[in-house]
Amino acid sequence: MNNNDVILSVQNVNKSFPGVRALSDASITVRKGTVHAVVGENGAGKSTLMKILSGVYTKDSGTVVFDGETIEHTTPIQSIRRGLSIIYQEFNLVNTLTVGENIFLGRYSEMKGMRNMHKQARTLLDSIGSTIDTYRLVSDLSAAEKQMVEISKALSFNSKLIIMDEPSSSLTADELTQLFTLINDLRSKGVTIIYISHKLDEIFELCDIVTIVRDGQVIDTKPIDHLTRGEMIAKMIGREIENEFPSRPLVTYNKVVMEVKTINTRKLKDISFELKKGEILGFVGLVGAGRTEIVRAIYGADKAGELKILMNGSPVKIRKPRDGKHAGIGLLPEDRKLEGLVLPFSVQSNIVMSSLENISKFGFINSSKEKEIAERQIKSLSIKTPSPHARVKTLSGGNQQKCIMGRWLEINPDILILDEPTRGIDVGTKYEIYLLIKTLVENGSSVIMISSELPEVLAMSNRVLTICEGRISGEFNPEVDSAHDIMDAAIG
Amino acid sequence: MTKQLTQERSKFVDFLLEYLVLFVIVGLVIVTAIVEPAFLSQRNFTNLMRQFGALSFVALGMTFIIMGGFIDLSVPGMISIIAMVTLSLVDIIGEIPAMMIGLLLGTMLGTLNGSLLVNVGANTQAKALFITFGMSQIYRALALILTGGFSMNWGTLFAHPMPVTRALGSGMWGPLSISFWLFIFFLVVLYIFQSKTFLGRAITYTGGNLTAAELGGIPTKRIVIFIYALGGFMVAVGSIVLFSRVSVTVPAIGDFFERDAIMAVVIGGTSLLGGKGSVIRTFMGVALVILMSNCMNLLGVQTHVQEVVRGIILVLAIWLDHRRHARG
Repeated sequence: MNNNDVILSVQNVNKSFPGVRALSDASITVRKGTVHAVVGENGAGKSTLMKILSGVYTKDSGTVVFDGETIEHTTPIQSIRRGLSIIYQEFNLVNTLTVGENIFLGRYSEMKGMRNMHKQARTLLDSIGSTIDTYRLVSDLSAAEKQMVEISKALSFNSKLIIMDEPSSSLTADELTQLFTLINDLRSKGVTIIYISHKLDEIFELCDIVTIVRDGQVIDTKPIDHLTRGEMIAKMIGREIENEFPSRPLVTYNKVVMEVKTINTRKLKDISFELKKGEILGFVGLVGAGRTEIVRAIYGADKAGELKILMNGSPVKIRKPRDGKHAGIGLLPEDRKLEGLVLPFSVQSNIVMSSLENISKFGFINSSKEKEIAERQIKSLSIKTPSPHARVKTLSGGNQQKCIMGRWLEINPDILILDEPTRGIDVGTKYEIYLLIKTLVENGSSVIMISSELPEVLAMSNRVLTICEGRISGEFNPEVDSAHDIMDAAIG
Repeated sequence: MTKQLTQERSKFVDFLLEYLVLFVIVGLVIVTAIVEPAFLSQRNFTNLMRQFGALSFVALGMTFIIMGGFIDLSVPGMISIIAMVTLSLVDIIGEIPAMMIGLLLGTMLGTLNGSLLVNVGANTQAKALFITFGMSQIYRALALILTGGFSMNWGTLFAHPMPVTRALGSGMWGPLSISFWLFIFFLVVLYIFQSKTFLGRAITYTGGNLTAAELGGIPTKRIVIFIYALGGFMVAVGSIVLFSRVSVTVPAIGDFFERDAIMAVVIGGTSLLGGKGSVIRTFMGVALVILMSNCMNLLGVQTHVQEVVRGIILVLAIWLDHRRHARG
């Protein structure tokens, strides 16, 4: 440890919501100039704790001492001015304003003119090695650039502690490396970082100390080198799991179910590949390489300039998602809240959406069958919901994802395309989703899987295609080929 | 988690918000009946039923458009052109065939609206707002061109006797007016459609999340065209009922019907955000809108003040709508 000074001390903090004890006797001590990881499954209490620190929630009891000052009641703006900033996963920026205006949002009067404001913004961005033009609109920035703006904003308040909530979720590998360099740099300047993430690799690479939270309690706080990955997972989920991934399913069929002859769009160039029955085909590539565009074209979600696909040897015309569905393809979209779920609707409505047409006679829905379908899928996927009529938005991310899985399993498509199926989902549920995928292919369906988590694709896929700048840049067997070679082909 | 915080105490509030319109209706009836006993007279009741007429049909159609996440401002132009075309045809092909043509025209114009929206890629309520507003101008101008700007009086204009028109305009069957029976018929049919059929449910999916519905294999484009076609048909029914009641039909006959229909739908509790709503709610919404103006008339409230009240009620209804849905 560089320094033994304590920047933040949380002692026996409790927070209850009616019916739920969100935090019980949580205590964390964060030392100045460290990168302190907080890990835990979704709903473990990480967010509640961070929201108490930032002043969004008020604690029921306990003490919080930040930078030598005991803090009873605080508001978000007071916290920031005190030097405690939080950068949320979804970012808190105004899209229609420029970078400079966002950094100094609400402080224009202190800035003595726009030119001076942009000058100061420039200095801040330079100090973290970013070259973003301060006059650019935030809406034109990539996720990584937005993050840089958020960090500059935090630094503009002379933040001593920056909390980063899932900062890597939308970054490419390159951008992640840059973020790590920046965090290391901040650490050496004495800034403390609390790093919240599901991605254990990142935590092992970056952090000094890790605090594990489960069911509203702090389970353990340890220096990172005193823990193994397995121990950390066990503490997070409260039980041992031997493997993060189930054993790779074998391809037992030798039949080609889909043959993509050509896809050409503005972005994609001469995409062609085959998919075997019972196979899991992984797509690896950087965000923006064209992975999502390929599957969307196959499913009919995007218009393709040229699209030639054979299903079971005969050509199919796919112009819209409905055609894709009728051809025997299902798509679990990348963004489950925006593209997958109808959030205000019930779990049942969301599960039956795609099969409703099939259980209708002369246009009338068979409501007992509808109920049956929902109950069957809730049971077989063990979706945790108080009732089929609970609103899907009240469910955890993993259970929401299972609802969309259930929607497709009910139809039993020949091919199920999974675009980032485990994004933002906790470790325990991830494993359940892997098992589901395995069962699916064992029953004769085929799966195309896109994931930004390389270990996941490599562990699950029978075959991997690397996508780079709209082209297929390589084909690999993840059992034989090294992750390094695969990543190399993906980067191009 | 904040949701749980407010959950228990808000159950009652939720219930109140859900059925607020009913409470308001009851309150309005009681207050007006006390202040102005004429409110409860048979004559006023008949009067109320007549006013219910055109608006209720337009609002039923509008319910599905709003439930599907869209909106239709082309109502005034459509009412106008349908009324004019139908009346112009009466002497040529007879009353009932002319009405059939009117219904067909409404459906076709609705289909045109919907197809236009789908083909220009208008997938938001805001875009639909402007496009249908433009279409309304076109339809209304066409009606003016067609009639040369003159009004039509079916009571004196035509050689044919017009029994159906007369019945729709002032006929009674039992305690209720014929047009109200017709409304009950459509209410029942559309309620069954909304709750029991795939198409009805597909509309709510489309309104709930257009992208998710489309990716889930729901034929969203056809749904959008369909809701506008249905809306057009219902506007045509409304248009016919309207000219049956007012003997003199002017090209501006449909003005403000879009406003009142949207108001009735939203006050009833169908969400402007799409996905959630019901024709039963619209029934209550129409009842409230009609009662409101009836009460204000009886109580002698000045016309412009009435407009102010109407405006306030609409804003309140939209505010409530957002509140209800922000709760999750």
